[in-house]
Amino acid sequence: MILFSPLTPLEHAARHILNFLHYDIGLTWAWSIVALTVIVRMVLVPLTVKQIHSMQNLQRYAPQMKEIQKKYKSDRQKQNEELMKFYRENNINPAASCLPMLVQLPVFIALYYALRNFSHEPATDHPGSLSFLHFIPSIADHTTSHWGGFLLLVVYVGSQMASTLFMAATVDKVQRYLFMAMPLVFVFVIAHFPAGLVLYWVTTNLWTVGQGLITRRLVPKTPPPELFKRSSRTPPKDDGTSGNGATPEEPKPAPQPQAGPRKVRRKKKAGRR
Amino acid sequence: MYRVGVGLVWLWRATFGALFPTTCKYHPSCSQYAIDALHQKGLVRGSLLAAWRLLRCNPWSRGGFDPVT
Repeated sequence: MILFSPLTPLEHAARHILNFLHYDIGLTWAWSIVALTVIVRMVLVPLTVKQIHSMQNLQRYAPQMKEIQKKYKSDRQKQNEELMKFYRENNINPAASCLPMLVQLPVFIALYYALRNFSHEPATDHPGSLSFLHFIPSIADHTTSHWGGFLLLVVYVGSQMASTLFMAATVDKVQRYLFMAMPLVFVFVIAHFPAGLVLYWVTTNLWTVGQGLITRRLVPKTPPPELFKRSSRTPPKDDGTSGNGATPEEPKPAPQPQAGPRKVRRKKKAGRR
Repeated sequence: MYRVGVGLVWLWRATFGALFPTTCKYHPSCSQYAIDALHQKGLVRGSLLAAWRLLRCNPWSRGGFDPVT
């Protein structure tokens, strides 16, 4: 209730867009939600595409990052600090960022309130069917109120896991598995939401997956850069800026275990000069 | 009073923060930064600092070590 008043404009905005899609474009209410999701995601395309590119770039440095994570296994704070230092040294832009994620939150809340109103107001206020593809009788009802909702929840879990594969910006395996298991826990929370909201979520996840697949196909994978296996001609400070794939050498996973000592050796060499 | 803000951050962490599988590009993360800022600067200034950090946490920024000062 406390949250209600400041969020009323959001709710009205969501309702206006849904009304436009329903009355003017002629979509059913359920497909209006799908269209609304697509509009939101289209607006966010520049943000997410940049994010996926950064993530692909990040994957190239995975062996080195894993090495850092292994080295500071017991001290998470130190591990994070070292990773940040590594990003800076090698001119990496970490993929994950909080803003794109946060932008979706108001849309989600607005839709929640708009759908809640659907179930509270008389049916004459929203003429037209609330069903979706014949298997969900009403998008305003709780997801679990019909067998079709359970099916939607299964699709949600699958799509959330698939989108995690594309968006989880971490090379830490444990963390990745944790993210993958998250929808299995959240499905119990989401089950109490109106089916339309789950529909929003499924659509946004499927968009993420599609976007990820397209971006992966369009952007060729670049070989991992040789960070530490460079000749001592270059001083260590320049390593990061010029290390972005500049070396045509065949990439080898071998340098990972000796990454630390090698760096030190290079520093020594540079010092001797 | 700042506890209200900290409570909201925890609410975020327990719900949407856990749902969207991303890790922050900054250290400390945006949510931890918000908690630290609220502790150190109070509700108003802390919230403003946290909002500014969130705006900076976009795909074009560099990220890195950025504690509340």
